[in-house]
Amino acid sequence: MEQNDTKQQHYESVYRADRWAKRFITAGGYGIIVSILAILLFLVYQSLPLGQNASLKHLLSYPVTDTGNQVLLTGSDSYMEIFYTLDQAGRLNFYHISDGSLVLAEKLPLGEGEKLLSAARGSLGRDVFAAGSDSGRVITAEISMTAVFSDSGRVIVPSLDIEETWTAESAGDSIPNHIEQLAFVQNEDLSRFWAWKDHVGNIHLRIYDADDEETYQHTLQDYFQNLTVTAMTLSHGGDNFIAGTQSGDLFWFKLDDFESPELKDTWKSTQNAISSLQYLLGDQALVIGDNQGAVESWFPVRTPANWLKFTQIHRFESHPAPVTQIYTSSRNRNFLTVDNKGNVKLHYATTGQTELNFRASDFPIQAAGLTPKSNGIIAVDGQRQFTLFQLNDPHPESTFQGLFGKVWYEGYPQPEFVWQSTGGSDEFEPKLSLIPLIFGTLKGTLYAMLFSVPIAIMAAIYVSQFSPHWLARAIKPTVEIMAALPSVVIGFLAGLYFSPLFEEYLMGFLSVFIFLPVVFILAVLIWRMVPEHHRTRLKPGTELALLIPVVSLAIAISIWLGPTIEAVFFGANFQQWIFTNLGVTYETRNSLVVGFALGFAVIPIIFTMAEDALTNVPESLSSASLALGASRWQTVRRVILPAASGGIFAATMLGLGRAVGETMIVLMATGNTPILDLNPFNGFRAMSACIAVEIPEAPVGGTLYRVLFFTALLLFVFTFVINTVSSMIGERLRKKYARF
Amino acid sequence: MSRRISYFKQKGDPYIFASGLGLVVALGMVTWIIAVILSRGLSFFWPGDLVQITTSGDETYLGELWAQEDAIQLDADGHKIPVKQTQLKIGNRDLYGMDFTWIRDKNITEQAYPENAVTFERLEYGNFYGFIEAVHSGDEQYGADHPELYTKARQAYRLAREKREQLRETQEAMTELSEPLTRLQREISLLEISPEGRTDEGLQQLEEMRRSAEQLEQEIADAYQALTEKYEKLYLEERGIYLTVRTAAGEEKELHLSEVVRFFRPNQMGVFAKSWHYAGKLWEFVADDPRESNTEGGVFPAIFGTVVMVLLMSIAVVPFGVMAAIYLNEYARQGPVTRLIRMSVNNLAGVPSIVFGVFGLGFFIYFVGGSIDQLFFSNKLPEPTFGTGGILWASLTLALLTLPVVVVATEEGLLAVPRANKEGALALGSTRWQMIRKVVLPNAMPGILTGLILAISRGAGEVAPLMITGVVKLAPTLALDTTFPFLHLDRKFMHLGFHIYDVGFQSPNVEAAKPMVYSTALLLIVIVVLLNIIAIYIRNNLRKKFKTSTF
Repeated sequence: MEQNDTKQQHYESVYRADRWAKRFITAGGYGIIVSILAILLFLVYQSLPLGQNASLKHLLSYPVTDTGNQVLLTGSDSYMEIFYTLDQAGRLNFYHISDGSLVLAEKLPLGEGEKLLSAARGSLGRDVFAAGSDSGRVITAEISMTAVFSDSGRVIVPSLDIEETWTAESAGDSIPNHIEQLAFVQNEDLSRFWAWKDHVGNIHLRIYDADDEETYQHTLQDYFQNLTVTAMTLSHGGDNFIAGTQSGDLFWFKLDDFESPELKDTWKSTQNAISSLQYLLGDQALVIGDNQGAVESWFPVRTPANWLKFTQIHRFESHPAPVTQIYTSSRNRNFLTVDNKGNVKLHYATTGQTELNFRASDFPIQAAGLTPKSNGIIAVDGQRQFTLFQLNDPHPESTFQGLFGKVWYEGYPQPEFVWQSTGGSDEFEPKLSLIPLIFGTLKGTLYAMLFSVPIAIMAAIYVSQFSPHWLARAIKPTVEIMAALPSVVIGFLAGLYFSPLFEEYLMGFLSVFIFLPVVFILAVLIWRMVPEHHRTRLKPGTELALLIPVVSLAIAISIWLGPTIEAVFFGANFQQWIFTNLGVTYETRNSLVVGFALGFAVIPIIFTMAEDALTNVPESLSSASLALGASRWQTVRRVILPAASGGIFAATMLGLGRAVGETMIVLMATGNTPILDLNPFNGFRAMSACIAVEIPEAPVGGTLYRVLFFTALLLFVFTFVINTVSSMIGERLRKKYARF
Repeated sequence: MSRRISYFKQKGDPYIFASGLGLVVALGMVTWIIAVILSRGLSFFWPGDLVQITTSGDETYLGELWAQEDAIQLDADGHKIPVKQTQLKIGNRDLYGMDFTWIRDKNITEQAYPENAVTFERLEYGNFYGFIEAVHSGDEQYGADHPELYTKARQAYRLAREKREQLRETQEAMTELSEPLTRLQREISLLEISPEGRTDEGLQQLEEMRRSAEQLEQEIADAYQALTEKYEKLYLEERGIYLTVRTAAGEEKELHLSEVVRFFRPNQMGVFAKSWHYAGKLWEFVADDPRESNTEGGVFPAIFGTVVMVLLMSIAVVPFGVMAAIYLNEYARQGPVTRLIRMSVNNLAGVPSIVFGVFGLGFFIYFVGGSIDQLFFSNKLPEPTFGTGGILWASLTLALLTLPVVVVATEEGLLAVPRANKEGALALGSTRWQMIRKVVLPNAMPGILTGLILAISRGAGEVAPLMITGVVKLAPTLALDTTFPFLHLDRKFMHLGFHIYDVGFQSPNVEAAKPMVYSTALLLIVIVVLLNIIAIYIRNNLRKKFKTSTF
């Protein structure tokens, strides 16, 4: 009985083990599908946010207290905890964003009955502003909102510093001395630039040079003759001043010389009055808004005569009413345009896209702005209603047009495909066109395939059809070892050994392509002279022994004659010849070297697969052909090659997949410059190498990071398609020949 | 009517030859690359003779002959004119700034191999080539007129090495002595900045700790003082042992022997002595740490890192791959599911390695690693522990990469197990699992082994995914050591393949680093090729074994 029990227990444990094993192993099998799906989905998941449009969430609105009717300026701290308003009476109030309660009330030192007419923010990074009054005074002040950390958390402490106050000279000593419009900038050297329009309509300029603490003053009215200036802006560096007029004419002044502003150029943008002007981050692009609601971006483009000329780059979605204010982001090329009907639009200057279009209020908006981190939009309307929107726009630059289309970047003469992901300064405009990378990958692949496919297929035909068994058995492992050579070793040799060698013996290597066929044909003709009975006694496999001297001879002749050929045809210096005649600079690490080096990686793959396909052609087919009197070559040409062509195609596809994804060889054997040029004598930047170089430095979750994930996804999808196609072909072939 | 058979069109012998051409080129390429690596990689350690060259400009150089080639000079019309020139490794980087110089052959007036020229391998600044002028060993001094100056220098060198060893030991003893105190002080400062340190209890604890730290300090003060004195004395003694050496140009310099790795007179060495030297250098290469930003010394940490990484990878990939292969062959009904899995394996094999790297970076490091940091290492944040590249994540990434290799090879092994054996086991009443364990797995072992070896060889040679998942150019600590918990999965590591890339392409002195790169490449190739040959051998035997079986 007891024995039965233990036996029973034993059986049970055996069956339990069997069940568990089955579960485990099945899980292992499905694990493979899971892993490939996980890779795919993860890559998709990481790159999806690129396609996301900007979105806006209305967080709160409430009326602000203790402020006058006319709000001139508003802004917030970078944590979006406190915002401020400056009203006409000079009251500067700070409020908690969450509930609108007053934190601090400051007042600009205005005289009795004095009113502010205009105000302007003077820096993208700091809350420094200038305000002009109706008695000709301009007050310059800085708001600081310091984050203080304590046990109970973070507290923002606002404060106001009056920097300087001065009074503008009145035009013709007339009593009203209004600062009607004001443009102000404080640059990184802390020099300050003011431009204002007085009540007569004259334009003045004042410059404070922080270096030698001197002040310069100019009147620019002479330049405008009888045109009325309606909008003004200064670039953030203070070296450009732009004024727009009633007639749509624009005036561009260079302020490099503080003592004498220079009128650089004038041009006409629209027929309508310019109602608003603003320089974007980077001080290149200028946004123009007119009183018909048009919004355009312009920047100086070098003309063929080497002359900088403002050129219209993009026309954005128009407003239904005059554009009254333009606010730029301090982070990127985003900007807000506001019209006098309460409509607000968010645009991205690089791509020319209008990302958001919303109505912030039913009343005209008096002051608005992007928060310092560009994650929110604040606005105060004519009813003193404060509104905060949360802005979610992490990847404005990655539109389809931005990634795959030509984009007109600042400083470029025309729209181009450019990849330049990082730059020296915060003001750098990332250029993320994938076209140069895709082109680079395809270029490398092209040269690799041109070199490898003939060699690999020829070798496969020889080994499978004409070589004796012992030879095939020796060659297959050799090729396998070739496939196993680490790509870093091949890449390093390509970069440090082959490329200098190629440069030195360039002509010699190039002439191999001429001399090898020539010498080969000569050798065949000589071989033909050998009496036939000797020829036919040749054992299969000895061809190889005969070929080695032929190839060596061809290479030797090429290297030996290379310099002579160079001297005769290319003026003794091929590199210089291609430069003067084809306009191509020769790079040491070029596509020829890459094509050759990639051959080490691609040839074994194509060879192995093609050899398999050729060997697997049923013997009955070739036997039948031979029995009908066809020669060995005829059999191969007419029977075996057509039968195996699908397999050979599949092999080529696999080789292609390898060439596309190869990283280290491409990284080490090219100069990695993203160019669009099929020339074999210069390099390229491939997708794979670009990922390897750039992803370690890309900020997690940033646009570059996601674009690189997207690039990886493209590689994945590409190889996925190739592999699926080639395995489908393989399967069909297997089925087809199963009946023989 | 007899028709001539066209030699080209019908017989087609030329085409057969032409197809052979492809094979010859392919084999030629392999031979070339292996020959280059072998010759360059192996010649590096051979002590080169020192040649003294005097030029027409009356300059004298001493160094190793490095290369000879035709420099291309452009004449006034832009035509190339070859000019013979010689590259000399002149070393003495601290004096000349450059390790190499090119000399036009036509400028050479005199060439000699001075008997007593000495090569010094130094810890810093690379090699020094010159002549010994005087030996200073403490109070003893020997000038250039001493008959056995070189022997005296060797004696002094041994003494200096001894002193250096003693210095190191003393320093270790000092560290060991103060270790408890340092640890206590670290705890104190940790407590000081933590919120607990501000509570009453914490303050009390702090006070106690400070007191015990003081006590400890007093306890070890005497012993520490003694050690310090010993250290200073040794240091002075060690500084007193040096050579006065002279360069070929006549410049004199003091060379402290404790900073010299080895020195020898290559022009006096026979083949045997050179071979012995060669073996020593080879050993140094395999077993020592790198020096001079990886351009000299050895690659031991890289070998070690590669091995540990590959082992971790194997632990992850083999069970998974074998399970998948068994499922495909023994459990699954052949149908859409198995086709899907096979397609996945195929596709996984074709996915570029860099894509695995990107996945590893995003998924393992930032997602999994980041979450682990949040959960278990939140006290160290924002300094990441697992949320940054490390050997674990690199191994897992490579495990995913090599999965298809293991699956395919194992499947091949499984397929080779005769059906009759399996059915026999089932007929005798064994469960499926018993049959797999007792019949299938033992017979498929060579297949699994092949897969493992191929995976290791792939893992050892792969660089791109590692570059972004945790490989570094210089890892201060090894991933496996004697401090708890012994295996440090979060540490960054060095890797042979990456070493090649880094030294060859990111080193400030590429020319001087080249020999090192060639040697490392040779080492890597030897490892990879050996592994592959073993795998091929096992697989071929597997085929043979079942070819002869009568089932």
